Order: sequence, then structure tokens, then C-alpha cells
Amino acid sequence: MKKQSPQGASASSAAGRRRVQRQRQLSFQKAVQIAWRNIRQRLGRSLLVTIGIILALAFLTYILYSDTITRAALRGGSPALLDSLARRGMTTVNDADARIQTRWMLGLALLVSFVGILNSMLLSVTERFKEIGTMKCLGALDSLIVELFLLESTFQGLVGTVAGILIGVALALSEGARVYGAEMWELLPVGALFRLLGICVLVGVGLTVVAALYPAWRAAKMEPVEAMRSEV
Amino acid sequence: MSNTENVSGQQELDAAELLSTHVIRAVGVRKTYQLGGEAVHALKGVNLSVERGEYVSIMGPSGSGKSTLFNMIGGLDKPDAGQVFIDEVDIAALDTFELAWLRCHKIGYIFQTFNLIPVASALENVMMPMLFGGMPEADAQDKAASLLEKVGLGHRVFHKPNQLSGGQQQRVAVARALANDPAIILADEPTGNLDLHTGEEIIRMLEALKDDFQVTIITATHDHKMLAASDRVVYLTDGEITDIKSRDELHIQVGTIAGAEQ
Repeated sequence: MKKQSPQGASASSAAGRRRVQRQRQLSFQKAVQIAWRNIRQRLGRSLLVTIGIILALAFLTYILYSDTITRAALRGGSPALLDSLARRGMTTVNDADARIQTRWMLGLALLVSFVGILNSMLLSVTERFKEIGTMKCLGALDSLIVELFLLESTFQGLVGTVAGILIGVALALSEGARVYGAEMWELLPVGALFRLLGICVLVGVGLTVVAALYPAWRAAKMEPVEAMRSEV
Repeated sequence: MSNTENVSGQQELDAAELLSTHVIRAVGVRKTYQLGGEAVHALKGVNLSVERGEYVSIMGPSGSGKSTLFNMIGGLDKPDAGQVFIDEVDIAALDTFELAWLRCHKIGYIFQTFNLIPVASALENVMMPMLFGGMPEADAQDKAASLLEKVGLGHRVFHKPNQLSGGQQQRVAVARALANDPAIILADEPTGNLDLHTGEEIIRMLEALKDDFQVTIITATHDHKMLAASDRVVYLTDGEITDIKSRDELHIQVGTIAGAEQ
């Protein structure tokens, strides 16, 4: 086709033609497309990671929101509300012990989900050793492999985070409405809650991407020779 | 030039002539692996030159160093001593970006296990090396479609690998290997996972495409029946080239074997 005829290549012209170039980076848009396809086609594995994030984020959001709502109620609630709360043993805003306990639980929940995501991502790298090796044989750069895995985890992180936050917020609000009645809606510290929302998104996406760093690096370090191994 | 003169001590080969005709040159290639504290000499000083447009098969039992040699030629592994030139470029001198470019543009790989990307269609599989090479999407699509047409899969471009038979998957792999008009196609036991008939079809197709695309084909195999298309067969034993047979000698050889089997 476009190849020069072998006989026509003299020694001098050959030297110029054969110069090796540097492989260029694939466009970001194309990388996003490939990463998206990987997720879509491997929905099972993606869901596993996503569910882990959903659970962790639902828990995080629920705890943070109900804590904020409770404190708002105790601080600004009507005497009648405070009275009914006192009858149920809820009086002090700064129940230090309870808050430390909650933080521990939150930390543990996030850690467990972090390890879960890490594990799933490592598994999906191992599963795809041959595929990664093949892509490298076809000219993929290490940086593209890292990019693909990080993009995949970012998608999963975003979806899981949004779903988790929705669940967490719904749970916290419905529980608040049950406990504090209609008065809760007036007490709701909207500004603080939106700030919390931002924190939850950062934690959710950050958690996933950090958990994907090591698996992505392992994948990129893989030798293309792996593609040649005949055992499936 | 004679094909068999490369077997032994040929350091004094005419450099200018090599430059123009040899697409692969391995000079005194050694490779040693450490296995459980013991040194395994996979390659013990291999010299091999492959001419442009040749179809060369490397024969050898497992453990002969066949895979190691194959990986060196493919730019997938570097020798401990000696040099490997691909299109007269010493691969040891290349950085990772240049190696990636070399793999992308100069070499087309065909694997025993096909190694298609399972989540991508036949068309997307063939497009992949072109996109890695920086070709615009629309051009890549057209070219991939015409390549699939060439390997007889024009009606299956949107099928996923798991919707294709083994022979069809290997055809997609052949089309993918040709994507960037490589100088060399490296096929590692390309028929190893195919039945005899399908395997022969693939070999015949490679032979035909070799002339079409003026590409050099190097295969590793241990199946005598797959040698028929070869211009030369290189026999490797214990990390050394023990014999090189040209096509003419080979036909006699195959005939003898067939005769012996009857």
C-alpha cells in the first residue's frame, strides 16, 4: 500500500526514513471514550466498586446530616420541641463521647470501603493483564493505561458518590422529619448542609481515585510480554 | 544473497547491504534468566538476519529460547548482550516512547490466543493501533473497515470477539496487525488455538497478505504442517540456532515427513 518497495530503498534514504519517532499521547477525549466503554461493557465489576462507594457515602452523608440537623434542633428548637426531646433523653448539644464514637465509625466505614475499592480495582487489573499487555503491544503508552484506570475509577466514584449522597440525605431528612416533625424544615441549616454536600463529594471521589492509584500504577508497569503468555 | 550464511560467525557481513535489505538483525544475542538462584541461558549468542518481505518461521520445542528470541525481535524484551536491530534501529537505544512508537508503527503482533480487546467490536479492535498512532477517527474507521473486508470479515465489523469463531477472531487480529502498515508481522503460534483447517487458512492468508502489503512475516511455531508458506525455517535448540532451511530444502523435508507417516 503506502509502503516503499523494499528494493527501492537505498542505504542513504533508508537511514532518514527509518528514524524512530516518539509515540504521542492519545487525546483525552478518546481516552474518556475508551474508559467509558470499559465501564459499560463490564457493568458487573463496575457495579461492585460503585456499590462500595454508595454504601460508604450514604453512611457518611447520613451521619453528618443527622448530626447537623440534631444540633440545629437542639440549638434553635421551640420549647415544645426541646421538651419532647428531653423526654427522650436528648438534651446536650456537645455530647462529646457520642461524637468521638461516631467519628470512629465513620473512619472505619470509609477505610473498609477504601480497601474494598482497592481490592476490586486490583482484581480488575489482574483480570485484564493480557488486555493491557496487548494494548501496549499496539502502541499504548504507560500514561494512557494510568489515565484509563483513573478515568474509570473517577466515573465510578462520581456515580457512587451521587447515589450515596442522595440515599444518605434522604435517610437523614426523613428521620429528622420523623423526630422533629414539621418544625425541622424551618430549623434546617441550609448553608451548613450545602457545605457538607461539597465535603461528601470530595471525600467520595477522592477516596475512589486514591484507591485506584496503586492498581493503575501496577497496570501501567506491566510488561507487554504478558500479552504473549498463552495461558488464559 | 544466500540465506543460510547467517548461521555461524558472520560478523564480517557487508554492512551496507544489510542496511538496505534486512528488516531484522540479531547479532550475538544473549539472554540469561535467574531461576531459583540458577542461571538459565535462554539464548546463547544468536545471530539472525531477516530480509524484507521474507516469511520466516522459528521452530523449536518449548524451552528452546524460541519465545525469548521472538520477544527480542518484537521489541518486547532487551538482550543482556549483543544487539537487535529492527529496521536498522538498535532497540536497546530506545526510550519507552520510542519503543511504543516502534511497536505501534513498525510491528504488527498476532497472538496464539488472539488477544482481541473483549469489550471492543472487530472494527474498534482494528482501529485501536491507528488511534494510538494518531490517525483521525474517521480515517481509522475507513481503513479498519477495508482491512476487515480484506480478511473476509466485511460483514462482521460490529461483532464483539465473543460473537466470533476462533478463526474469525484471528482474522480480526491479522487485520489489526496490518493497521499501521507495519514492516514486520510477528505471529506467535498463530494457529496454536485453531483446528488444522482453520490454521491453514490463516497461514495461507498471511502468505497472500505478505505480498499485498510487502510486509515481513515472522512466526514461531512447532507445527510442521504450518511451515509450508515459509521462505525460511530457523531451528532453535537450547538457545542456539542449529539449522536454517530455505523453502526448497523444506519441501523435500515436508515430503519426507509425509512419506514417513504413510
